[in-house]
Amino acid sequence: MSMAWSFRFLEEIALADVAFEAEGESVEEVFRGATQAILETMANPATVSGGWERAIERSDADPSVLLFDWLSEVVYWKDAAGVVFQEAPLTLTREGDIWLLRAHLIGAPVDQQTQELHADVKGVTKHLYELKQTGGRWKVRVVLDV
Amino acid sequence: MNLNTDMTVNRITDEIWEIPMSEKPGMLVPARIYATKGILQGMDSGVFDQVTNVACLPGIRRYALCMPDGHWGYGFPIGGVAAFDVLEGVISPGGVGYDINCGMRLIRTDLTLADVQPYLEKLMTELFRKVPAGVGASGFVRLSGEEFRRVMTHGARWCVERGYGWHRDLVRMEEGGCIEGADPSIVTDHAIKRGINQLGTLGSGNHYLEVQVVSNDRIFDPVTAAALGITGHEQIVVMVHCGSRGFGHQVASDYLKIFEKAMRRYGITVKDQQLACAPFRSPEGQEYFSAMNCAANTAFANRQVITHQIREAFARVFGQSAEALGMELVYDVAHNIAKVERYAEGDLVVHRKGATRAFGPGSSELPETFRQTGQPVICGGSMETGSYLLVGTDQAVRDTFGSTMHGAGRTMSRAQAKRTVRGAELQQQMKQRGILVKAVSMSGLAEEAGLAYKDISEVVESVDRAGITKKVAELRPIGNIKG
Repeated sequence: MSMAWSFRFLEEIALADVAFEAEGESVEEVFRGATQAILETMANPATVSGGWERAIERSDADPSVLLFDWLSEVVYWKDAAGVVFQEAPLTLTREGDIWLLRAHLIGAPVDQQTQELHADVKGVTKHLYELKQTGGRWKVRVVLDV
Repeated sequence: MNLNTDMTVNRITDEIWEIPMSEKPGMLVPARIYATKGILQGMDSGVFDQVTNVACLPGIRRYALCMPDGHWGYGFPIGGVAAFDVLEGVISPGGVGYDINCGMRLIRTDLTLADVQPYLEKLMTELFRKVPAGVGASGFVRLSGEEFRRVMTHGARWCVERGYGWHRDLVRMEEGGCIEGADPSIVTDHAIKRGINQLGTLGSGNHYLEVQVVSNDRIFDPVTAAALGITGHEQIVVMVHCGSRGFGHQVASDYLKIFEKAMRRYGITVKDQQLACAPFRSPEGQEYFSAMNCAANTAFANRQVITHQIREAFARVFGQSAEALGMELVYDVAHNIAKVERYAEGDLVVHRKGATRAFGPGSSELPETFRQTGQPVICGGSMETGSYLLVGTDQAVRDTFGSTMHGAGRTMSRAQAKRTVRGAELQQQMKQRGILVKAVSMSGLAEEAGLAYKDISEVVESVDRAGITKKVAELRPIGNIKG
């Protein structure tokens, strides 16, 4: 099954940090791609069981701002709840001028014995941050401070 | 000269290079890069672009600077230094970084390699147990909201009051481990919730705790070294690199958003969104400065609690008290911070992002302890190659707003490092070379391989020859803990 979204880590920018580009057929799909990229930056989701869940709803007129805030919220819960994530199913709808994100963060408390942990993301930066539509696909470039 | 930029870069001396104001529209001052020719040629394109972006920020004075460990960061380059007039200039969270008061700490001991080698595995295991590292790690200190706010205002002093350290530790920290003007009332609940359980934790990325050796032949200034408690003869020292953890990261995130809106109000435009800034004297600027100081104090406290844990680990393994083992602090210094300091131009807000304060012996801001030596500067190299202890100079105060380098500086992306070497293999190779590594994340370990960094010796030579810091000793790793 081919996915409607994808992401790849970028190597030539911000050497000490982690940069990725996510893309998708729609704004919603690019949200999914970027979410998966940030989850995988912190830990291998396949090694994280469930057990911790948080429903999150956010809205903004600008999908670029909404995505930035959403990714920042994922980073926040990593520290505030001491968890890493298995998945974050989400839907993005548009009501008038407002984009509405409904997401479910699913993860588990950090366990160094059972989880494959990666980088402790400090923040989502605005450096080179851009959400745009090119060639019929939506793309976002994100640099994470790690 | 082949450089990763089309800009004109003029040689001022063999270690100082200048990009004139004509090279980018909007530059208010020239940009200066401290580096040998070889280091300059290896610098990535981001350095040139970012240091000249910084040179466009309102109220900048004299030069936008980049140190020889500089590389592509976000907003400011890593290794960036810029000073802004307190009345006409700005303050920028991007010029401090997410990890507010990320810094270095060095602890000396009376132990020698011969004392430690037989117990190294036991020692590293104990340190790994007592100093939590890695993603989402929490510390042993449990704080109420009220107590955490006291940490924000009192920094390392809070630790000493609570028994996590010795009173005499405080004199051996930048600002005595406590910066005035921290106001917890303007810190968000988000920031508090993100950091309240993380006191005494290392984090991940390039943060580490390292057990090191100082050999006689790697002491370059024996008099200064002795004054700082570095005696050589295969002496064991311990280095810590970490910052304000999730609390500081959230303070930076919160104010980046506030500053984006404030910039529109103040009519400020920047070349990179991550350079979002506000006039220093504006309400937003003052609030960020105060919140940043809360995070800076929390970072001093974080490294102090870690020091307490290190002392306990050594005491347990060697069966003597930390005092009997001579575990005095050499120094603790910030390398991600903004501070108001007085220079020839007057009071300036000096931003150091991946750069270290380097005040010389003549600086009236140094405590008596360092009036002969100059302020200690601790520069962490890669975990494979070693680190350096240096001291600041009066020339640094004159030339670089009292600033110098902070580490080796990366030359390779994290992804490329992981493709080049596997964490488990690296751990084994390092063990064979006498460096015992305990790591939470094997991929994180690979990302920090020595091959991903510049040659720290050449980086140190360039600041030594430029006269902005003087070499004291090289510190060779034998044990490393990584997140």
